[in-house]
Amino acid sequence: MGSVKRISKELTELTESPPAGIRVELADESNVYEWKVHMEGPEGSPFHNGKFLIKLSLPTEYPFKPPTVSFATKIYHPNVTNDEKGSMCLGMLRADEWKPSSKIAAVLQFARQLLAEPMPDDAVEGRIAEQYKNDRVRYEEVAREWTRKYAC
Amino acid sequence: MNLQDFLAMEESRDRDELIDLRSLDLVSEYDSHLMCPICHCPFVEPVRLQCDHVFCGSCLSSAITTFRSADSDEFPCPSCRNPTQKVSASVPRLLINMCDEIRVRCPLITEGCQEIIPRGHVQSHVEKYCGYRLLPCPDDSCDQMTRSKDVGMDQKCIHRVRRCSHCEEDILEHEYEEHEKELCPILEVACVDCETVVTRGALQEHIESCPEVALPCTASKYACPVKIRRADIAAHEQSCPIVAMGPYFEAQNTRLMSLESSMRHLQQRNEIFEDGLANIRSTLVESTRLRANSNGSGQSAQSAREQQPSARADVSTDDPADIAASVFSSNATTYLLSLHESLREEVSQLSHAITDLDARASMAIMNECLRIKEDMAHTNAAVNSVRMQVQWLMNPRLHQGTRGGAVRSNSSENEGTRTQMASSAAGPSHTSGQSLGSLRPRRPSDGGREGTKL
Repeated sequence: MGSVKRISKELTELTESPPAGIRVELADESNVYEWKVHMEGPEGSPFHNGKFLIKLSLPTEYPFKPPTVSFATKIYHPNVTNDEKGSMCLGMLRADEWKPSSKIAAVLQFARQLLAEPMPDDAVEGRIAEQYKNDRVRYEEVAREWTRKYAC
Repeated sequence: MNLQDFLAMEESRDRDELIDLRSLDLVSEYDSHLMCPICHCPFVEPVRLQCDHVFCGSCLSSAITTFRSADSDEFPCPSCRNPTQKVSASVPRLLINMCDEIRVRCPLITEGCQEIIPRGHVQSHVEKYCGYRLLPCPDDSCDQMTRSKDVGMDQKCIHRVRRCSHCEEDILEHEYEEHEKELCPILEVACVDCETVVTRGALQEHIESCPEVALPCTASKYACPVKIRRADIAAHEQSCPIVAMGPYFEAQNTRLMSLESSMRHLQQRNEIFEDGLANIRSTLVESTRLRANSNGSGQSAQSAREQQPSARADVSTDDPADIAASVFSSNATTYLLSLHESLREEVSQLSHAITDLDARASMAIMNECLRIKEDMAHTNAAVNSVRMQVQWLMNPRLHQGTRGGAVRSNSSENEGTRTQMASSAAGPSHTSGQSLGSLRPRRPSDGGREGTKL
């Protein structure tokens, strides 16, 4: 299986030199397709000081099919669905935009960047996106509150 | 060539190659541009697309089968998503050479091969040169594998077992010679110390009882330097002073150990206390600072507040212990000064209170005096009225007593009234010569005056 080889290679790289604020491990040592990612909220965002658990699942066709990213920790963000799934909408992860040359490290860094700068035009939570655009102060207040409540 | 041809070519490629080039253990670093973006390994049989992106042939073929919509003759490039129809097998020689030059470990490292070779040579190394490649045993009746270096020119099976004539152990054919010469326990060897000849199997046993073997004194851990033959060790231990002191050392050791552990414990506690002290100190400093701020006037308070965070920042950046000490000493003086200030304030407050009390007391005394004066006046009036009544009551008796005298002045009664009027105007000195009876009833106000004099 080519996918296992590439995935374990990326996992080794990520564990040996993890990007800032990101730590990865396998959810189950015997299954390389399910990852657990511990992400710290980026500085300067209302998620700062929060620790978010992200589930990253890779399809068996990886790298030809994109991985899916979902937040196990509740988060108040326009681009993350506010339900049990907590799916994150990343442009680069859409099937028609995914490129096999993209790396998981890049996906995770992009996800962290999205925490700092949400993309309200690409939102899955319309209400939060609306608030982010019109009432930034209140948005940050709620996001900080949720971070304190769920991610500390 | 177009996609169909490419896929057909990849399909027909010989897949039962000996080695998977992607699972090799790379020894040298390689340029990231030599990495296939799909499998993240240095290119293996690279191919090129119209957009000049290069991939491994096998990676690209699986990408095409995944991405191509049914039977269309184009697919998106895995790197740039440009629609692509043609695949070119002609990749610059340079690229292939660079990939082939990457140094890797021989994949048969699991068998013991330590060779490091360029990747391009791995295939031929494993096929022709590596001595650790497993081959089927040349003897057809044996179904085991043999390392290629162990297959001698004579093509003998090395797995045949031969029984050692001395020790009756089963030994593999190719190890028999070594066994017979060096390892067999029946072989006789000489003890290095006493030169007794024993069999190899019994050597260990012999060494444990050999009287010639040098043994250290049992007190060697307490620095007895003696190392002596086993036969003499008992005699030495009898006379060795350090052995005699052994139990004492032992006891000291245990005492030291327990002291050390209790000391460690105390140190920990001490640290905890020091921490607590430092905390208390810092809170004290903080509070005095705050007080100093609130005491100052508006402007100075503001400037102090501005300085405070910067001072705190300094504290955090510099060596904490050093700074804490200096901060504490400078703050002790400010603390004393502020204490002094607050005491002074208290004193002034007290003096204020005292003057206030003083005023109050004098007011109260004045009030009381006025009331008493009024009372006195009332009493005086009452006393006077009583005196008037008494005099009025006494008058008739006085009149009776002086009747004889009054007969004399009866004739001049008019004159008497005249003198009475004159006496009331001129005062008592004029009437002193006159009788009491005529004087008293006419001067009630005099009596009052006498009362006050009383």
